[in-house]
Amino acid sequence: MMRDLHDHLKTRYRLGDLAERRANLAFVDVARADLRALLVELRDVHGFTHLSLLTAVDWIEEGRFQLTYLMNNRTANRSLGLRVFLDRADPVGDTIHDLWPTAATYQRELREMFGIAFPGSPRVDEEFILEGWTDMPPYRRDFDTLAYSQQTFSDREGRETHDPRAHMAKKLNPEGQR
Amino acid sequence: MIRFEPDRSQYPQPGDDGKLEIDLETGKYLKLWHGPNHPGITGNMSVELTLCGDEVVEGKVHVGYLHRGFEKLMERRTFIQVFPIVCRVCVPEPDFNEWCYAQAVEELAGIEAPEMAQWTRTLILEMGRFNSYMMAMGGIGGALGMGVIGQWMTYVRDLMLDRFEEMTGARIYHMFILPGGVRGHLPEGFAGRMEEVLATAERYLADVDKAMFTNAVFKARTKGVGVIDPALFEPYGVTGPNARAGGVAKDLRKDAPYLVYDQLDFEVVTETASDIWARAMVRRRDIDVSIALIRQILAKMPKDGPVMAKLPNVLHWKIPRGETYVAGESSRGEYGYYLVTDGSGYPRRVNVRGPSYTHAMALLEHLIPGTNIADVAALMVSLHTYPPEIER
Amino acid sequence: MGNLRDVLSPFTAWKHLIETPVTIRNPIGREAADGYRGFHQNDIEKCIGCGSCEVICQNAAIDMVPVSAPVDGDSGLRPKIDYGRCCWCALCVDVCMTGSLTMSNEYTWVDADPDAFRFIPGVDPKPWDDMEKGYRREGARVLTGAERVEMGELPPEARIDNFDEIVVGYTREQAMIEADRCVECGLCVATCPAHMDIPDYIAAIREGDYDLGLQILYETNPFSEVCGRVCTHKCETACAARHEGDPIAIRWLKRHIVDNVSEDRRLEIVGTPQALPTGRKVAIVGAGPAGLTAAYDLARQGHAVTVYEAQDKPGGMMRYGIPEYRLPYDALDRDIAVIAAQGVTIKTGVRIGREIAMDKLRGEFDAVVLSIGLHIGRSTRIPGTEGPGVEAAIDLLARITAGEEVPVPERVVVIGGGNVAMDIARSMARLQKRKHGAVGVTVTALEDFAHFLADREEIEESFDEGIEIVDARGPQEVVRYKSGKRKGAVKGLRTWAVTSIFDGQGRFAPQYDQGDERLHPADMVVEAIGQAADVSILGEDLTEALEWTRGRLAVDPAGRSSEPWLWAAGDAVHGPDVITAVADGHRVAASVGAMLMAMGEVAR
Repeated sequence: MMRDLHDHLKTRYRLGDLAERRANLAFVDVARADLRALLVELRDVHGFTHLSLLTAVDWIEEGRFQLTYLMNNRTANRSLGLRVFLDRADPVGDTIHDLWPTAATYQRELREMFGIAFPGSPRVDEEFILEGWTDMPPYRRDFDTLAYSQQTFSDREGRETHDPRAHMAKKLNPEGQR
Repeated sequence: MIRFEPDRSQYPQPGDDGKLEIDLETGKYLKLWHGPNHPGITGNMSVELTLCGDEVVEGKVHVGYLHRGFEKLMERRTFIQVFPIVCRVCVPEPDFNEWCYAQAVEELAGIEAPEMAQWTRTLILEMGRFNSYMMAMGGIGGALGMGVIGQWMTYVRDLMLDRFEEMTGARIYHMFILPGGVRGHLPEGFAGRMEEVLATAERYLADVDKAMFTNAVFKARTKGVGVIDPALFEPYGVTGPNARAGGVAKDLRKDAPYLVYDQLDFEVVTETASDIWARAMVRRRDIDVSIALIRQILAKMPKDGPVMAKLPNVLHWKIPRGETYVAGESSRGEYGYYLVTDGSGYPRRVNVRGPSYTHAMALLEHLIPGTNIADVAALMVSLHTYPPEIER
Repeated sequence: MGNLRDVLSPFTAWKHLIETPVTIRNPIGREAADGYRGFHQNDIEKCIGCGSCEVICQNAAIDMVPVSAPVDGDSGLRPKIDYGRCCWCALCVDVCMTGSLTMSNEYTWVDADPDAFRFIPGVDPKPWDDMEKGYRREGARVLTGAERVEMGELPPEARIDNFDEIVVGYTREQAMIEADRCVECGLCVATCPAHMDIPDYIAAIREGDYDLGLQILYETNPFSEVCGRVCTHKCETACAARHEGDPIAIRWLKRHIVDNVSEDRRLEIVGTPQALPTGRKVAIVGAGPAGLTAAYDLARQGHAVTVYEAQDKPGGMMRYGIPEYRLPYDALDRDIAVIAAQGVTIKTGVRIGREIAMDKLRGEFDAVVLSIGLHIGRSTRIPGTEGPGVEAAIDLLARITAGEEVPVPERVVVIGGGNVAMDIARSMARLQKRKHGAVGVTVTALEDFAHFLADREEIEESFDEGIEIVDARGPQEVVRYKSGKRKGAVKGLRTWAVTSIFDGQGRFAPQYDQGDERLHPADMVVEAIGQAADVSILGEDLTEALEWTRGRLAVDPAGRSSEPWLWAAGDAVHGPDVITAVADGHRVAASVGAMLMAMGEVAR
């Protein structure tokens, strides 16, 4: 089923290989330029009318963000995840709020949490969850939550732990002999 | 009985660019922060309302009061350490998080939970749904001034929490659905005590039917109010009871059966009016479905058997690179977990798809203009939203 | 406009006015469900302080704090819980390696002092310590593997007529699963005489990085291939996993690493000494595990090391004591080759005390290490042991290794219950099978099976090979034929049943039930009750000059004797196994090295 659809679509869109997760769930890479036309066709022709979610994954080692558009055909019980990759150095996505108005919320969150721009998306630059945030977008992989909390909060006084192995070595073999 | 006509205000007028012009300096408008501590708000969020008279001309939803960065925290936890966190994304119905996460991990790690665990998980999810609906019923009553409904529902919910407590060891955050299965078997005599709860619930629900659903005031305040045009469902990502109240017979338990729902007998509840009444009614009737399902599960589930699959050592559990999305029908609609793994011992990304994300943001903001200030609370509550799903 | 029913119906709610309130008047003290996750309890005697609870806690609510002195298999640490952070998930209970950590169903506690909510369960007394109710992990531990991956072995019928290695070794898949079970608490490290970095090399297996694994092994043990086969693996008795399941197969995993690195690659990884030659010379007497380990360390420090070995080949007890089916000679040769590659000179067939006197060594070398092992078999000295047909196990084993002809009669009785007894019993069984087509070996041990000295595997494998083991038997006499053609030849071993071995003070004083007497028929009796060191090589003057304790050469903790130029290591002074000898070798090398270094400073 999913494979038929993939075969059908890949003649006209630049698609990667189909990664089948379950009989009713697959993921595929899509060229950014083809995304919009593909979404429209999926929605209007193939029954993928429901946008389950839109989110990002930070592949920092590869220097890119992955946007995942999870499209769902409720009638046929099938989901297709479209993966679009953006340059992490200058991440700009294409807004789809005119196709699914609710996408505006996702895009606003992605702007705030990952620093991905979606020009033209309504209120995309308004603060969404964070208020007065000045640090880097916090859902990026290089934002260090531990360092942040250590700077922001203080540890409880008097806490000290011991590694069993090091503790035993210190007590039983203080000279560190082999 | 007096009914206010909508659209009484001649303000605001569109400006040259076609957008509504709201100039607070004119004195025609009033800004009102509805929440985060308003009793009519559904949890810690706020709606910034702009009023002209008693009509709302604009509403902006503000969230973030409950933001703890759960998704980010999960990236810094091992796969087993994520397990105690997920339930906290949703207080009234935490079990969905546990199941979605466990199922997603199992899929990517190639583990299958044993049959006994599948039945127990289904039971927990229905118990959670029941409790969530109790909150919704009490909420809608409360939002319309019928506090007693809230009290009754809280009592019934508490009885169900007792069952949760004896089954899982906790009342609110059950932490019972581990990746690989569930933590234990049902206690001795559980089904009998559950039946007592369900019978009490049915008694109180009969009272709710008399006091709330057969109530001139309730009808007047909810029928024809807060109507969502079914054409908005797809563009605004409306799922669950909110969509079923508009005649959409879609329920993931039926359409994409997970766990053991394909072995259970139940109907998908729908209404047609798509107003506050219809949404309340769908939930009211879905409670009956849940009660029937709990009885069915307890009757049909295996009496014994293993509850956990064999896990690798969870202290250094690595899962190969992959991604999956696991979703189910929560009391508020499609609840899903998108899990991405990268071969390390930590999730690369966890994204929680809560139904409130679409319902309480884009949809609510779209619905609010033109409503009467007195109906805002009922409208919001009728969407049955939980803010932590939005900000996570 | 609603109808009249819609107006009247809500008033039915008023009936609740006369109902009893459902609220609990005073919720403090309400008892929680039986399985409630309340405040923790810890059975302090059962807890081993492995810290798995701390590792799994995603809230960092647990600190491991010292409560008692560490002993083998128990760090003496106990979890202290900060209830300001605890989320009551009970993963700590689920992961607990001993099942000591549980939760009571107590959850209401009021105190004005926030620090009161940070305590050590089981140590700081609390009212719920002895509560029966509360969260208990249901069934077996599932968060970490409980069962050991079974080791493949040659079946008894395939091994009984030859000396082929019995243990097959893990495949990579098996090793990965076994290595995965380790919780990395590191309790084993203190118990290992050589303090090997066990959790680290097991982690290297999980990573599939065998080069790293080998490197870690060589940091503490140049006899890893040997130890991977025959180590007494005390580490496994300290393993956290043994409390509710099988201990990690640490020994087999060590072997697995060495098996997966080629000999050439091993030489590359270990390399040759990086230190500049110091010009100092060390003589080592005895090429066993202690001597060769010391040689390895000293050579790596840049000293010139010569090892003298009386036998034809190096290895000591590893070669001449341990049978080939447990430790193939080429495995030993590979370990020794790496040591030789460090520039160590090994002179075999040279008996110190005969060909070369100790005094000569003293004159030619800056330091001498005595690592001569225990190569003289002790005798029970019961009647009948004098004469033909009674042998010492250690002599027989050495002769078998050397390829000499040994007597192989149809019936053999072994006296002794240790691993040497099993070694000779199983070796003789193999020779019997070859010569006579049948096994006829009986082992008589003082100890009963519950207190047996030999490893459990040895006993089980012996049974599989058709060897008879009779426990709790005390040897009384080697019975010989009094007349006839076979006059003077061994007829059998007469034993009494043992009622106790030690007296009230713990001294060796076996008591027997004389009514329970048996004659174990035998053509040969082999004594395997212990060995002694051949200290005659020291010569009279040196023996006189040295200090002794209970017949053993007295040495300080670093292995130095009362003569400043002489150290002693290995079985001859410490015992009882290869890994202890390796540890001893390290210790002595460190001491010798420090002395040589000091000499260097003075010379400069």
